[in-house]
Amino acid sequence: MKKKFFKKAAVLAIAGAMAVTSLTACGGSKDEGGKEGDSNSLTMAWWGNQVRNERTQQALDAYKEESGVTVSGQFYQWGDYWSKMATSAAGKKMPDVIQMDMSYIKQYVDKGQLLDLTPYIEDGTLDTTNISEDVVNMGKVGEGIYGIASGTSASCMFYNKTLLDELGITIEDNMTLDEFIDISKQVYEETGYRSNLYHYGLYMEMYARANDIQATDKLGGDSADDYLPYFETLETGIKEGWQISPSQAADTDSVEEDPMVYGSNPDNMTWCTINGSAQLTAYQTAAPEGTEIALTTIPTSDPQKSNYVKPAMYFSVSADTANPEEAVKLLNYLTNSEDAYNILLAERGVPASTAISEAIMDKLSPAEQENANFVNNVIAPNSSPMPPFAVEGSTEAQDLLRKLEEKVKYGEYTAQQAADEYFTEANKMLQGE
Amino acid sequence: MKAKKRTGTIIYHIFVCGFGLLMLYPLFWMFMSSFKETNTIFTTARSLIPDPFTAENYANGWEGFAGVSFATFFKNSLFVSILGPIGTLASSACVAFGFARCQFRGKKILFAAMLASMMLPGQILMVPQYLWYEKLGWVGSFAPLIVPFCFAIQGFFVYLMMNFIQGIPRELDEAAKIDGCSYYGIFGRIILPLMSPALITGAIFSFMWRWDDFMSALLYIDDPNKYPVSLALKLFCDPGSSSDYGAMFAMATLSIIPIVLIFIFFQKYLADGIATSGLKG
Amino acid sequence: MNKSSRFYHFINKEKNVGVIFCLPFIIGFLVFLIVPMGISLYYSFCDYDILSPPEFVGLKNYIEMFTQDEVFWHSVKATFYFALVSVPLRLIFALLVAMILVRPTKATGFYRAAYYLPSIIGGSVAVAILWKRMFAPDGVINSLLGLIGIETNFAWLSDTRTAIWTLIILAIWQFGSSMLIFLSALKQIPKELYEAADVDGANKFTKFFKVTLPLLTPTIFFNLVMQIINGFLAFTQSLIITQGKPMDTTLFYAVYMYQQSFNFNQAGYASAMAWVMLLLIAVITFILFMTKRFWVYEQE
Repeated sequence: MKKKFFKKAAVLAIAGAMAVTSLTACGGSKDEGGKEGDSNSLTMAWWGNQVRNERTQQALDAYKEESGVTVSGQFYQWGDYWSKMATSAAGKKMPDVIQMDMSYIKQYVDKGQLLDLTPYIEDGTLDTTNISEDVVNMGKVGEGIYGIASGTSASCMFYNKTLLDELGITIEDNMTLDEFIDISKQVYEETGYRSNLYHYGLYMEMYARANDIQATDKLGGDSADDYLPYFETLETGIKEGWQISPSQAADTDSVEEDPMVYGSNPDNMTWCTINGSAQLTAYQTAAPEGTEIALTTIPTSDPQKSNYVKPAMYFSVSADTANPEEAVKLLNYLTNSEDAYNILLAERGVPASTAISEAIMDKLSPAEQENANFVNNVIAPNSSPMPPFAVEGSTEAQDLLRKLEEKVKYGEYTAQQAADEYFTEANKMLQGE
Repeated sequence: MKAKKRTGTIIYHIFVCGFGLLMLYPLFWMFMSSFKETNTIFTTARSLIPDPFTAENYANGWEGFAGVSFATFFKNSLFVSILGPIGTLASSACVAFGFARCQFRGKKILFAAMLASMMLPGQILMVPQYLWYEKLGWVGSFAPLIVPFCFAIQGFFVYLMMNFIQGIPRELDEAAKIDGCSYYGIFGRIILPLMSPALITGAIFSFMWRWDDFMSALLYIDDPNKYPVSLALKLFCDPGSSSDYGAMFAMATLSIIPIVLIFIFFQKYLADGIATSGLKG
Repeated sequence: MNKSSRFYHFINKEKNVGVIFCLPFIIGFLVFLIVPMGISLYYSFCDYDILSPPEFVGLKNYIEMFTQDEVFWHSVKATFYFALVSVPLRLIFALLVAMILVRPTKATGFYRAAYYLPSIIGGSVAVAILWKRMFAPDGVINSLLGLIGIETNFAWLSDTRTAIWTLIILAIWQFGSSMLIFLSALKQIPKELYEAADVDGANKFTKFFKVTLPLLTPTIFFNLVMQIINGFLAFTQSLIITQGKPMDTTLFYAVYMYQQSFNFNQAGYASAMAWVMLLLIAVITFILFMTKRFWVYEQE
């Protein structure tokens, strides 16, 4: 009885395996055939969450109605997205339209993976009349324009407004670092809640800009001494207790696990954190009921120098696309179509086109409106130009920075040691040694 | 004597149950979390009981992304994790028999090659493999997720079965040979039925690994309509904006059900003790 | 001699039979493995960032790895620690549980499923969050410690000494695959041997050490080899739970390699790392195979 069962199973298995081989081989070739000949279909890839996936696909469906071009969307989680893009780029199979980020665009341009949009802007295929020159230039790498900003955003500091209100503290925008430290000490002493300024290595950019030592293809400044105050502030913060350390709560890039919104008691929670302003909605959703989250500028010695308006992300076109004309038309739709933005709203930052952002303003949620107001009316009037694009070694340098911050937080390194190592090692990484 | 045995049995059950509960606690936590309101999962991480109790996560999660529901993802996963293991088991059993029972030139080298192929970190093969499958025209289809597995490329299964075959007494082969049985007959009539525990174990592993495999889906599948569950689950969490952990836990809970069913179905055969009964026959 | 009988003769020839049975693997190896492996070996001698074509640089990557990269050594240390601690613990645990669950009772199927369940969820995002919450300062581990009188707010994942242990415990918790293999091997032991031992008046311990253990040694060896390979190549747990934190103490070799390849644009360097790892595991496995004849019971 049993023997028969397994004999049958084995025969079935072998037959099945053969069937699969022929079946899938067919599928593969069919797929390829479709891609070559069809000028009415495009592919587009992005990273993001459920809301973005939903809205983008809807906008793409609407585009099909309008133009007859089918756009199939592919979406991944942030980290996976970049592995996928790099691998497809190696195989010259990148999707036609791709969502790009400030920290990656230069590498992709340098390696010849993106299409220069300048000719299409000149002939009007990509209409930029409603976009300010500053915003158009956000996509400028070297001589060409390789991406069109989907919208604008800014780095900011989020804080627990409910808590500060109870203490009678009001946060003014463009607060300086000294003011921030005073507040931090006060909050810590009175409630036990700490601050989270040194978080995921995000603060360095702001510090460097405020002190005129912004990184280019190497670190700014002449010596490690230029970075010493950065680590000293961190060291003091840990010593005095107002800066949170990993032994109280893990340093994370996830909004929901951020100690500002998650924790069991003040000892392992913070009253502030730094991140991108578009995350206001996410923080508000994640915060416990009755806690109001607000946003302000990141405190530095000179906020006017450190503040800047940045592209939330870009839309770019792959250099390998079989159909550049159609791909750019899709870009144009994603930039200038009011219909599209009635669906997309401010999901990818405050829309780059001023006409669009005015038209949809009323439809935005209160948090999205607050963010738009913050970028347009708080950051923009009191800011400096965008930093140069990240070079190839900067991810590694950023990783090093995170580790050095960690070592200082654990007391493993003194501020001096961290500054020394950062200056020599990060410089090597940025210069590709 | 009998009473003593009885207390022994009771202690056995208490011990196994108690320890099992400890093992299962984290899963239970996940299961309960899937019934919490998604923005309270972290803030109420300490308590198991959802308050209020909601099934909304299942509805939200099942909806999927951009019009592609989890029904599609499950269908894709099932397709890959049924065909893949069938190929793996059939091919691996053949190869294992070759290694265990036959003598031929180059056997040692072949065996070493098989072991070596397991020792190279898979992550490093992502790019070269992609380039190669791209040449074959397979990118964008299910082929890279299924076809290679029909060629015994997972040394684990070959070695597992080979090990098992070596445990089967050779006298059985010899007897069959005297009766005029060819190697193919020995394989089909004697070894294959006797190695069913190894096949069952292999089936469970193979199904599970294909089900959990996320990397190859990420690389080779372009169309959301072809995404498997393992890839879809990751889409709930996005560090750049808000994540829906409730829906993620809900779908993660659902995603282990097929493997549990496969396990329960197959382990019955595992408990029957086929090997010993076969020996007598 | 007609054609079909010549074919029949050919496929039944002693030296051909083995090759024919191994054909699936021979084809699979030639078509699916050797090409990508060869390309990656070539990359290991190149400067390669994935986005642009590789440039040959000779041994540079290998030299840099051993002489200039401190993080590389951190990852080697973390990986060795993890593999050498988790593999034996996991195997012992799996064997113990298999011995317990081999006993046929009405609930056996249920018990097995329950003990196997943790292994099923593998390395998904759900596990990552689960584990982080359990070992958080306000997590269930500390609550349990509170129950036995140890009140603590210890952050297990943030301490350089304990962080890797959370990953080791995760590895032990997911012992199911080894347990299943042990179970099927235990089933394969002929009952006659135990009956014979009973006749000789052997007690439980003698039976275990004289019958069960010797007959299990091939399976123990198999599990050991596989787990060693898996242990050194461990990837997902570290990537999704700790990302190497704190201070590289949980930075597994494969994770660092992945970072080099996909985050730091140094796929050439990463390939070199991969081949060094292959060499290392090969040496360890070779040594294991050398010891085989001293302790593994062979039938013939």
